[in-house]
Amino acid sequence: MIQATDLAKVYGAKTAVDGVTFTVQPGRVTGFLGPNGAGKSTTMRMIMGLDAPTRGTVTVNGAPYQKHRAPLREIGALLEARAVHPGRTAYSHLSALAATHGIPSQRVNEVIEMTGLGAVAKKKVKGFSLGMGQRLGIAAALLGDPQVVVLDEPVNGLDPEGVVWVRNLVKYLASEGRTVFLSSHLMSEMAQTADHLIVIGRGRILADAPIDDVISSQGKARTRVRTDHPEEFSRLLARSGVTIQAPEREVLEVGGLDPRTIAQTALDHQILVYELTPLQASLEEAYMQLTKDDVEYRSHDASHYEEPPASSPSGALGTKTPNQAQEATR
Amino acid sequence: MSTAVQTNRRSAVPQERLAGPNFLRVLNSERIKLLSLLSTRILLLCGVVLLVGFAALQAWGIGQVTTNVQNGGATGPRAEALDTTSAVLHLPAGGVSFAQLIVGALAVLMISSEFTTGMSRATFAAVPTRWPVLAAKGVYAAVVGFVLTYVGAYIGGLVAQPILANYNLHLDMASGEVQRFMLLNAAYVAAVALMGLALGALLRNSAGAIVTLVALLFVLPIIFQLIPGDFFTEARKYLPTNAADAMFEAGSSSALNTAYLEPWQGTLVLVAYVVALLGAGFVTLRQRDV
Repeated sequence: MIQATDLAKVYGAKTAVDGVTFTVQPGRVTGFLGPNGAGKSTTMRMIMGLDAPTRGTVTVNGAPYQKHRAPLREIGALLEARAVHPGRTAYSHLSALAATHGIPSQRVNEVIEMTGLGAVAKKKVKGFSLGMGQRLGIAAALLGDPQVVVLDEPVNGLDPEGVVWVRNLVKYLASEGRTVFLSSHLMSEMAQTADHLIVIGRGRILADAPIDDVISSQGKARTRVRTDHPEEFSRLLARSGVTIQAPEREVLEVGGLDPRTIAQTALDHQILVYELTPLQASLEEAYMQLTKDDVEYRSHDASHYEEPPASSPSGALGTKTPNQAQEATR
Repeated sequence: MSTAVQTNRRSAVPQERLAGPNFLRVLNSERIKLLSLLSTRILLLCGVVLLVGFAALQAWGIGQVTTNVQNGGATGPRAEALDTTSAVLHLPAGGVSFAQLIVGALAVLMISSEFTTGMSRATFAAVPTRWPVLAAKGVYAAVVGFVLTYVGAYIGGLVAQPILANYNLHLDMASGEVQRFMLLNAAYVAAVALMGLALGALLRNSAGAIVTLVALLFVLPIIFQLIPGDFFTEARKYLPTNAADAMFEAGSSSALNTAYLEPWQGTLVLVAYVVALLGAGFVTLRQRDV
């Protein structure tokens, strides 16, 4: 278990982590999600005792990292940047780390096999691809068979096979009752891997909840309707509090009405409807909603995500935006 | 529930599986790190080659001058000033002023490369108390500095012997004076290695720390010599290289050089440099974020 209490890190004038409080529970994969520069890596370095907190505390299995007699056996970490001397072989790198805890060479070979580094174990790390470097980092994290595993951006640079491997590995580790804390800025990865989400933005916790709750609390449930008469039907559905969009011809996405009401309206007006699908908001949308004010390095073109309906001028009227209307009638 | 799982898992394994870092284990880890790098082997080889090469070159040079003097060819001040006996006895450690740089650079790299490569994150996550890492590196830096200098000088002496024999000169490697000078030089290079290690821990930058070490050992003495005034003449005595020159006179049968401190003073000054720099290195390592 990892417990952070009012944890803060200030570098000069810049506050990297601004008093975060959270608990990472054992037995499940906890995702640590946030835009670049949100404070994920700094938080993880503080967990590992590498950076001293400016304020607050963080404990691993009940004690600060430095207080553990055998830290590698309590918590293993893959931190963002490569933590390897490129002139060393993977085997000697792991052996040197293992030696500090008296871990036998048999275990070194075990993690090398487990991470699929067998063929390159005796080669210098210099020639490793990004993916192999990540595998070596994960091997180092697992060396002490730790109860807590912290992985900073573990799928970075991995090929699709490696991504699936990491996904299965972290789920397996969690199923063994271990604490798994996984950071990423890839929402799709989190959606498939994490059970619980901690969302961080500009050094503050924005959400700390099961992944389904994060999605449902932020995204608005909508219904996709397919009909031969989208214009007429949208006119019939339009009322206060209802948003209707037409992403493509003959398709409407209706927010603010449940599928039953939509079906009833169609029946009442004898309009043929041949699809009625409840749409779950994606993690992407939920995440964008959560972090839209907290992105440290925002690109100028921020239009790739949907504005909240309340702030769009057409939202109040409950009708389509001009663009979408045009598209629908084409 | 999960704690129960954990306890079961743990109680099933022998106690030694729960072992954590102690100084011996860190020493072992640092040995693996030091020996697994090609750069270590290259630098060690360079150091030995330099010491041996210098000894051979000096043997040849001394022989040439001696022959010239005997033939009455050269009677210049250089030939007069040359104390052949002393020169031959000190010949094995002749390359130390250059070998110290190689050992110093190696010691700098032992710690600075941890920070430049990011290895430091793995190292100090494994040993969160941090000081044993620097202490273990210190042990190896000092041992490598001492052994390399002594072994290099010894081989250098052996290589010089047949060259000297051509000029009817004799070098007895077992003589007290030869051993005394070699051992003191070896101790000096060990001190330089510790200073390099400390600078590496302080600056965390390979180039910066090596340049600082070179400045301390080579540039400052020259600057102090160039600036006129009694202050700099006096202050020069306290520079590491000049303090070492004083230390090299310890146990010597010949008259002491008045330009240096007393041998014991020189030794203390040198030790003070090592202690001050290493102390600062330990404090920095503990307080600064990795």
